Amino acid sequence: MTLEEKKLQVVEDFSMYDEWLDKYEYLIEQGKNLEPFPEESKTEDKLIKGCQSRVWLDCEMKDGKLWFKADSDAIITKGIISLLIDVYSGRTPQEIANDDFAFLDQIGLKENLSPTRAGGLASMVETIKAKAAEAAAEPKAEAEAEAEVLSAADVKELAPLYENVVLALKQVYDPEIPVNIYDLGLIYEININKEHRAYIKMTFTAPNCPMADMVISEAKTSVEDVPGITGCDIDLVFEPAWSQDMMTDEAKVTLGFDVDLDDSQA
Amino acid sequence: MTIEQLRGQFPILGEKVYGRPLVYLDNAATSQRPLSVVEKWEQITLKSNANLHRAVHKLAADATAEYEGARQAAADFIGAGDAHEIVFTSGATAAINLVAFCFGEAFIKAGDKIIVSEEEHHSNIVPWQMMAQRKGAVLKVLPVDDNGQLRVDMLDDMLSDGKVRLLSVAHISNVLGIVNPVEEIIAKCHKYGCAVLVDGAQGIVHQKVDVTAMGCDFYAFSGHKLYAAPGTGVLYAKKEWLDAFPPYMGGGEMIETVRWTGTTFAKAPHKFEAGTQNISGTPTLVPAFEIATRMREQSIDSEAVAVKDFVYEALKGNPLVRLFGCPDRPEDKIPLFSFCVDGVHHEDLALILDKMGFAVRSGQMCAEPLMDRFGVTGMLRASFAPYNTMEEAQMFINALDKAVKMLR
Ligand SMILES: Cc1ncc(COP(=O)(O)O)c(C=O)c1O
Repeated sequence: MTLEEKKLQVVEDFSMYDEWLDKYEYLIEQGKNLEPFPEESKTEDKLIKGCQSRVWLDCEMKDGKLWFKADSDAIITKGIISLLIDVYSGRTPQEIANDDFAFLDQIGLKENLSPTRAGGLASMVETIKAKAAEAAAEPKAEAEAEAEVLSAADVKELAPLYENVVLALKQVYDPEIPVNIYDLGLIYEININKEHRAYIKMTFTAPNCPMADMVISEAKTSVEDVPGITGCDIDLVFEPAWSQDMMTDEAKVTLGFDVDLDDSQA
Repeated sequence: MTIEQLRGQFPILGEKVYGRPLVYLDNAATSQRPLSVVEKWEQITLKSNANLHRAVHKLAADATAEYEGARQAAADFIGAGDAHEIVFTSGATAAINLVAFCFGEAFIKAGDKIIVSEEEHHSNIVPWQMMAQRKGAVLKVLPVDDNGQLRVDMLDDMLSDGKVRLLSVAHISNVLGIVNPVEEIIAKCHKYGCAVLVDGAQGIVHQKVDVTAMGCDFYAFSGHKLYAAPGTGVLYAKKEWLDAFPPYMGGGEMIETVRWTGTTFAKAPHKFEAGTQNISGTPTLVPAFEIATRMREQSIDSEAVAVKDFVYEALKGNPLVRLFGCPDRPEDKIPLFSFCVDGVHHEDLALILDKMGFAVRSGQMCAEPLMDRFGVTGMLRASFAPYNTMEEAQMFINALDKAVKMLR
């Protein structure tokens, strides 16, 4: 389910309840669905400031997406954070960072909570946004930290892998555009380490591309199918933003852009 | 006066929240205002608004008379011998800060000691920490026992080295709701030459205060907890202290003459009232004192005592409830109840109760060290005023049961 669809669904779920009591009971049920949060992870740095009850939030980046975990010692708060996680976990940092969280107003969560609780909700939203912004700002910090010195022999061994990874990426299409993602200029960086794991930094033509999830997972599978590649991680970035100049000439022709004219305009 | 007539004075008590009748049980945070207070504010604002002490015109004279009239009324209300011992502040916090600063400047040197109790509001902790840090003094803590009673038995030991210059203690804690034996504490302290500040933010509401009989050096309270306008407050200080204090804030009104070669200061209390004062707020203390006095009439007070006894018994009798502040002598308890419910978070409870129309407090209640003392992250607090009825008390106990059932 896309983020938009998920939010719509939550708004719909909530619209079934007129009575505040039912809303709270729904939230309490939500809280019970939360994946358990390990006691030893309930550390000071994971506490969200500004809530009356204690709320712990942790997140991890996997395959270009943020996955959240949380817990609270208050049951209604737990329901609220669980709802937030349900909606925002497994989204890209960019999606979260660009979201307006307006659906919270639509389900009447803000108006129905006491001032301190509304403050708590605001702190939770702020924290989730901050984590997303952080993740978006430094994609793959770990991969960079791991950057290794390659010997001449390594390079010789890795060179054909790079070629094959490019070929693999050229098999992947955004279903709405008849040009593969490589020629479209969506691939910003390819790195293959000594263990033959590929790190790819890519973008989309627009931040809200509805097919993003699908394309990323297709690209990942395609690269991982390359013989000799042991795994693939993809980071989605929107810096720098994609523009038409990033397409190969071949792609421009396919899409009916006048190659020369386009260059002179740029 | 009947309780209905009393409630009629407080229009907000007839309000509804979420379509249910409001039951306001957060009086320890701030009380509601009677019409007489609102009318006083309005009268001054609409008819005699002018800056104080500064002009010769009629409005200024009227406004000044109202303001200085409130000073006399405050002195009368708390039994101060002289209106010059009354300093107006913006509240209890401001009053305590004033004493912490001035007393510190005048009388505290490195190695001196200050005592506060374990049950203090942050407003009666932090100013002393700041002063101690500035002056190299040491802050000591008088503990409470498991029932929330001050360990007055430990005081002699703590005072015996003669280094304690000042002890600051709540008349009644805003969490435990127990009237502290301030007379006994003051007597002990004075024996060792230690001055005493009594934080009367809650005490002034629930006790008839006579500072002369009590013998305290300082007594501080806020107007807003006693039905007056917010931003008003009183510091009572014995004259000899005020005369010995250096000025606190500098500015207009607190001076005698200002020259580039130096300034001479007005006499107390004006020396401590720099800048434009709360012209329209402070005079509301007068009708507030009046209504507080009327609430002590037998007809109102007997209901208040019945309400207190009922809620106290109901909570003590509930096996799920852990009540904090249960004095040996039940008459030392005021109708202020802080508690935890087994297996239920205080915030969840407050939220559900809010939806049922009950305004109660949850959290640390500005007394984090006391929360730590009892090993809890927060409590739920219901604090009653004389305008709360027995019916409201019963509704509260029923609603609490319902909310607990929903959450457990
Ligand atoms: C015991 C006690 N001391 C001090 C204060 C501070 O009063 P204010 O915030 O009105 O200055 C309060 C108010 O909550 C209190 O209950």
